[in-house]
Amino acid sequence: MRRLFDRSLTFLSAACAIVCVGFLLLIVGAVAWRGVGAVSWTFLTDQIRVVGASGGIFYNIIGTLILMVTALAVSAPLAFGVALTHGVYLKTSRSQKRLMMWIYVLNGVPSILLGILGLMVFVLFLGWGKSWLTGGLLLGLMMLPTVVVSLSERIQALPKSTIEAATGLGLNQSQIVWSVILPQSFGGWVSGSLLGMARAAGETAPIMFTATIFAGATLPHGIRESPVLSLPYHIFILAQDSFDPAVGAKLWGAAFVLLLLVFLLSLASIPLRLKIHEQAHHG
Amino acid sequence: MNKPTMDKKTIPLPSSEDGVCNKNNEPCLLEIEKLSVHVGKRAILRDVSLSITERQIFGIVGPSGSGKSTLLRAINRLLDLQPVFQVKGSIRLRGEDVYSAKIDPDDLRTRIGMLFQQPVVFPASIEANVLFGLRHHRKLRRLENAEEVESALRRASLWDEVKDRLRDSALRLSVGQQQRLCLARTLAVNSEIILMDEPTSALDARSTDAIESLLFDLKRDHTIVLVTHNLNQARRVTDWVACLCPEQGEGRLLESACCDAFFSSEACLKVFEKLEDS
Repeated sequence: MRRLFDRSLTFLSAACAIVCVGFLLLIVGAVAWRGVGAVSWTFLTDQIRVVGASGGIFYNIIGTLILMVTALAVSAPLAFGVALTHGVYLKTSRSQKRLMMWIYVLNGVPSILLGILGLMVFVLFLGWGKSWLTGGLLLGLMMLPTVVVSLSERIQALPKSTIEAATGLGLNQSQIVWSVILPQSFGGWVSGSLLGMARAAGETAPIMFTATIFAGATLPHGIRESPVLSLPYHIFILAQDSFDPAVGAKLWGAAFVLLLLVFLLSLASIPLRLKIHEQAHHG
Repeated sequence: MNKPTMDKKTIPLPSSEDGVCNKNNEPCLLEIEKLSVHVGKRAILRDVSLSITERQIFGIVGPSGSGKSTLLRAINRLLDLQPVFQVKGSIRLRGEDVYSAKIDPDDLRTRIGMLFQQPVVFPASIEANVLFGLRHHRKLRRLENAEEVESALRRASLWDEVKDRLRDSALRLSVGQQQRLCLARTLAVNSEIILMDEPTSALDARSTDAIESLLFDLKRDHTIVLVTHNLNQARRVTDWVACLCPEQGEGRLLESACCDAFFSSEACLKVFEKLEDS
């Protein structure tokens, strides 16, 4: 009876794992199957034509990259600030837990609400109109919890003896932060950021009212009224419109490129993480 | 290993309440008076008074749980890192209370270096490890760097082993070498006192020998406070020994005497038996 129970539990767990992986393979396979045909050199380097039915997605890729880099630049100082406050400056575990709770709350904020917030504050109140900067700020906020958690975990995992040794040499707190804590937790920032960017790359809700338009934008020229094109919004619009087979092919092509971009970000994080890990442990 | 013999046997045992330095009337470097360390209501150390004179190896022995490490960490204020520890009493370094508001704890820890049970090297080159503390204390020119590195490594008798690979990662060194690298790091900032918390307990016999013979060179310029659970080591290297003993969970000073007197004192024999049993 007990063996039967054990076996069925094993079987059930394996089945769950297979369903998960199978589902992922299904999505990737479907997107690749339909999208790979649409991807060509001109598709990647030409701009959008005939409302998405023709041409390529060059400025959509550029726009998404601009949003990503801005989000990275926005989240990095915030994440370091929060993680250092959590790991170094807050002394009681109660206050540390409270700070982390707010970070998890931020993580749980639906992305559409962030979009509405951006619309009210930046687009309307500050009068920026649609701007790449608003999109970058919101996406930076979205990926912030991921980066903070990854960075804090690394800071918490630093051996206490390392901090003691540096303190014993007469280094003050800020010197310890700069020469011990930051270099040794850098890998946490890298992996958190790549993971966060991979998630933020596909977000549509925060940027659809605030940062991105469907057609007619190239490179941003300033902050006000300076939107960019982007991949997820492109897919969103085309999907609403996809009874035209020409548009359908382009849709899958764009989806495939977005998937590839996210996949590359995740992939890049692996050797980088290993390398930093190795540096930290074996020089 | 031969212990340099001085006129220790002629020195009488000081009374257990001594707060006075009476060893050849040498100037007292570190004076600990009625030091108690509490965590909440529990005392880890109670009423410990010690005098440590300059340029000697001062041993602290005692069974585990007697507060030896806590005593060391009170001296360089490393206990400050954990706010749960409350320190009462006074520790005076050249007459100045280290817990007074005038003292900058970071500055104090530069003057009082520390060596831990497990060597802690930073994930960087050997050279960078030696300069780790120093480059934060003063600006160095490139040429100076090399000089400081060589001098510190020589004093820690590590130079010959690593001179060809200063840029290599310090993590590739053996544990014994790492411990001497940690010593070099402390010597580079020219700490006048070096606290050692069982520095050889993680090392093999050869590395232990290397560190012990180093101690005799070091005491020409430095004062060393050595915590050890190894009585033979205390007998071999120390000039003066204090014994801490837990009484109802509180660490108390049992005896403080010059080494030879200490090891022939009747009162301590019982503690030694306890120690060797544990």
